[in-house]
Amino acid sequence: MIYELITALDKRLGFDRASAHCDIPCGIYDPSAAQIAALTVVRMIDLITDLESKGNPHDAAFHNTLGRYVTVKEEHAEKAKHEIRIIWGDYIKPQHVEKHPGVHDVVYKIMMLGSKSRQTTDRDAAVQLVEAINQFAEIFWDTKGIATKRAKAPYNPPLEIVYPAL
Amino acid sequence: MFRLIMVTGESLSPSYQEGDYVVVATIPFLLHRINAGDTIVFHHDKYGNMIKQVDSVDDPEGRVYVVGTNPNSVDSWRFGPIRREDITGKVIWHIPRRRD
Repeated sequence: MIYELITALDKRLGFDRASAHCDIPCGIYDPSAAQIAALTVVRMIDLITDLESKGNPHDAAFHNTLGRYVTVKEEHAEKAKHEIRIIWGDYIKPQHVEKHPGVHDVVYKIMMLGSKSRQTTDRDAAVQLVEAINQFAEIFWDTKGIATKRAKAPYNPPLEIVYPAL
Repeated sequence: MFRLIMVTGESLSPSYQEGDYVVVATIPFLLHRINAGDTIVFHHDKYGNMIKQVDSVDDPEGRVYVVGTNPNSVDSWRFGPIRREDITGKVIWHIPRRRD
């Protein structure tokens, strides 16, 4: 109601504009960055588990390596969340939600699983993160009218990933 | 004292989006209370009227650092701080465009 009133006034009076300026035309969106980040999280958990299970002495080298794995896990879990937030916030429009009413729930699930993957070394949670981002990727590509296919990642961890069938 | 301004561009998305309106307070005493997190409208010599979020305020120097929430935002990371006197006003009311 207020918005419509202001729009009508704007048409008559011509209010000023203020630009929330972007450098790049904001039209390049792709969930693959989030998918790779989520795979990296699983990989780091595998490396952390492997490092611990090998019975390595807990010396400086051990802590250094462990610290690096944890740091990369942290960064990539956050990156996965960040990339999804961008697509969700900047790209997903009401007509997409109308066609895919579950998209908000999928995004929320990704946020929760991303946080859990940062906080813990729960591999199941990280694998679920990969799958939740796959579901988001299927929705995303569908909004572009592009079919998708599932294939195992050609590197470790060889988890199933959604790819656009271009 | 108050101005109605339409937002263009997406650098403050998802909080502010293209087509939203904002009411901006131009009252001088309010402008002395610019704090981090405020959304402000200002004039930039190259980019014209802009709307951004305040990242930090350097009071002694009178400089204000502004940012967007979109990674492609053109802001103080690109053009440095803005001068306090270039600030037109502070957003006090956000009227989002209907999205249904």
